[in-house]
Amino acid sequence: MAELPPAPVAVSLSEVERGLRFYLRALFAREPQLIAGRVPQAAQGEQRASIAAGAIRMPPLQEAGSQAQAAALYRAMAAHASAHLAYSRTKFDLRGRTPLAMAAIGAIEDARVEQLAMAEMPGLRALWLPFHVTAPTSTATGLLARMARALIDPACADDHPFIARARLLFSRARLDDPRVSLEVGAALARELAAAAPQLDLRLEAIEPAYRDDNLFLWQTPDGGEGEGREAAANAANVSLGELGEAVDLELEGAHGEDARAQSAERAAAAAEAAAEMPVQPYLYDEWDYIIGGPRRQWCTLFEKPPARGEAGVIDAVLERNDDTVRRLTSLIKAVQIQRPRRLKRQLEGDRLDLDACIAATLDLRAGRTPDPRVLQRLARTSRDLAVLVLLDLSQSTNDWVPGASSSVLDLAREATALVAHAMHDLGDRFAIHGFDSNGRHEVEYYRFKDFDEPYDEMARARLAGMRGQLSTRMGCALRHAGHFLRGRRASHRLIMLLTDGEPHDIDVHDKQYLVLDAKHAVEEQRRLGVTSYCISLDPGADKYVSRIFGARNYMVLDQLRRLPEKLPALYLRLTS
Amino acid sequence: MDRLPVEDPIAQYLIAEEPYYRPTGDEIALYEAAYAVRMPMMLKGPTGCGKTRFVEYMAWRLQRPLVTIACHEDMSAADLVGRHLLDASGTHWQDGPLTLAVRRGAICYLDEVVEARQDTTVVIHPLTDARRVLPLEKRGELVHAHPDFQLVISYNPGYQNIMKDLKQSTRQRFGALDFGWPAREVETEIVAHESGAALDVAQRLVSIGEKSRNLKGHGLEEGMSTRMLVYAGQLIARGVPAAAACEVALVRPLTDDPDMRDALEGTVKAFF
Repeated sequence: MAELPPAPVAVSLSEVERGLRFYLRALFAREPQLIAGRVPQAAQGEQRASIAAGAIRMPPLQEAGSQAQAAALYRAMAAHASAHLAYSRTKFDLRGRTPLAMAAIGAIEDARVEQLAMAEMPGLRALWLPFHVTAPTSTATGLLARMARALIDPACADDHPFIARARLLFSRARLDDPRVSLEVGAALARELAAAAPQLDLRLEAIEPAYRDDNLFLWQTPDGGEGEGREAAANAANVSLGELGEAVDLELEGAHGEDARAQSAERAAAAAEAAAEMPVQPYLYDEWDYIIGGPRRQWCTLFEKPPARGEAGVIDAVLERNDDTVRRLTSLIKAVQIQRPRRLKRQLEGDRLDLDACIAATLDLRAGRTPDPRVLQRLARTSRDLAVLVLLDLSQSTNDWVPGASSSVLDLAREATALVAHAMHDLGDRFAIHGFDSNGRHEVEYYRFKDFDEPYDEMARARLAGMRGQLSTRMGCALRHAGHFLRGRRASHRLIMLLTDGEPHDIDVHDKQYLVLDAKHAVEEQRRLGVTSYCISLDPGADKYVSRIFGARNYMVLDQLRRLPEKLPALYLRLTS
Repeated sequence: MDRLPVEDPIAQYLIAEEPYYRPTGDEIALYEAAYAVRMPMMLKGPTGCGKTRFVEYMAWRLQRPLVTIACHEDMSAADLVGRHLLDASGTHWQDGPLTLAVRRGAICYLDEVVEARQDTTVVIHPLTDARRVLPLEKRGELVHAHPDFQLVISYNPGYQNIMKDLKQSTRQRFGALDFGWPAREVETEIVAHESGAALDVAQRLVSIGEKSRNLKGHGLEEGMSTRMLVYAGQLIARGVPAAAACEVALVRPLTDDPDMRDALEGTVKAFF
């Protein structure tokens, strides 16, 4: 009986995405956004990667003979697109190019960026090569495909004169210059147009599956990239034009929605504020790096009573994450048990303290009165710690987390609930506060749980009721948080800030300003004996977060979805 | 009890053979100058970047014995300065490693000093300023440091823990040398020399190491150290296939996270 061919296995992008991001960061020192998206009119097998605005769009699903093959295709795609992002620095002018020329130039550019990447990382050839499968046809299409393969594989024996010519031109070119692709590609296209019949210039027929659609290489002189993309798509007779637009629209839509939601919420908040009792304002200085000094009493901070939610939400979080809670409980036990401290020279204890015994013997022999404290015992270290968890409650925390059915704020709330559970169990003294801002005259500060309050239903209800709105004036909030800690008697005082982006506010347009003010606030707190530690959820945070908090005192969480389990573990690691 | 047949306890701390050390900048000259004025030194850098090897090399070069103490949490001041022990006729005082170094003019190297509790590290304070003395209050003795004595500590600034940090009062007693990862050519030379692997293999290992360091703070606490790369090179030089050697020496020790492991395996494949 004949065996059936193995059924294709499908792997989704979300399964491999996290690994891909690590892979790209390792190899190319960059982490482009990976977006799952389909090309509307292409069949399943013809789905291609595409690059737009520094992000890589990849098919949401990949079918192949095996799981490993599908994963390899994703990896090859991501590596190729990243090679483009690293080396395809200029855009090519579209005017006057025939589809054949565009195909040839694209193929040469692909070969060029791969060559540059392979010069550094020779093993990439083994990743890409298996996807180059060619038939010995001599149509223009077939020849371009054979050329692509010949250029990546020096061992490939192909003595067709066109291939030999392409190899010669390519080997002579200075590969680090992107104009090479234009010159060599155009020259080859002219030769090809004269020599071979053109039948099918669809991308699928020419380039292996891992390569992207190359649309981002092209630019029209008058329009932006989006139009260029569409024009390029039309010219190349490949109907991918909607793609660029779709991405643009999506982005625009998100902004529009943001703005609308923001204004609606602001109106609601204002109405609420009017109904509330007048609140005591706090005035704080702000550091201005341009004048090199503080602006006195520049920011006004109001402590607002937090809205009440349903305490059951927080309890449900613990139930839903019972796996994590159980792991945490054992971690907490480990922290509590692991650090016994030997108390020496005790009057009471379970073992003799050898040093003290010897000293006592010495004294006895010398005729002096010995010190009777000759015992030792083990005691748990008291965790002399006061922690203030400070939550960034700005509008951006309402964004949905890709691949999860919750917003950043939901995850932050969940993580806070777990960390509060851990701190409560450990007996650490802690407070949970949050902030947002609406210009320098209105920094809002919420106290969900204070140091001297029990972590009871009321505190949990307030935690459940928090919501995200407005901006992030970090420095002012840090100063206010610090003033709660300074009054506490503890050997370690810590602000743990959970944020999803850099400091910004509606009345500040200089990005440096609030970053440097926050840095200054952190330094002020440090001088006053309060350590600030930042957990950032912004993958691009390296640029500013280490400037604000210093190289040791921050962590960028790579995977938002795992924040709830990561945060308590991080807390335990930091403080044990 | 038999005593060890060592006549002079400090003799065993002398380094007989020249340790391999490849300078990465002007650190040898700087250290020599610091030693000339007996300035206490702090070596900063990630684990496995060559801090300990550097001290060994400098001790050999300066012909001073090197007393190394690995610091840990449960270390008490007595572990450093010494204690009374019982013997047949009563008790005798046993110098701790620090006291030995102070009396005999050795270089005393406190490795990973933040691991020790802060109340332990204060015993080095009188040694690290103009006084250069070590009080042994249990003996009622004040030991004046030998003119050749020098204190060196090492410290990993990337190690994140709020509770463990060097106090300012300790920090400010030291001169500091920064040890980062060596430049690519230099690290290649080191890996090739230390592992006995071919230069080409060493080059690829170093590239893998460099790539892994991109992941620091993004899923990895620390990238691959030069020491790990040397281990991988040693396995390859013993005939282990490169992929397996990297898996054993580089990927598996670094992470338990399956996604990260895949990514690191992919990184290894990009070079082998």
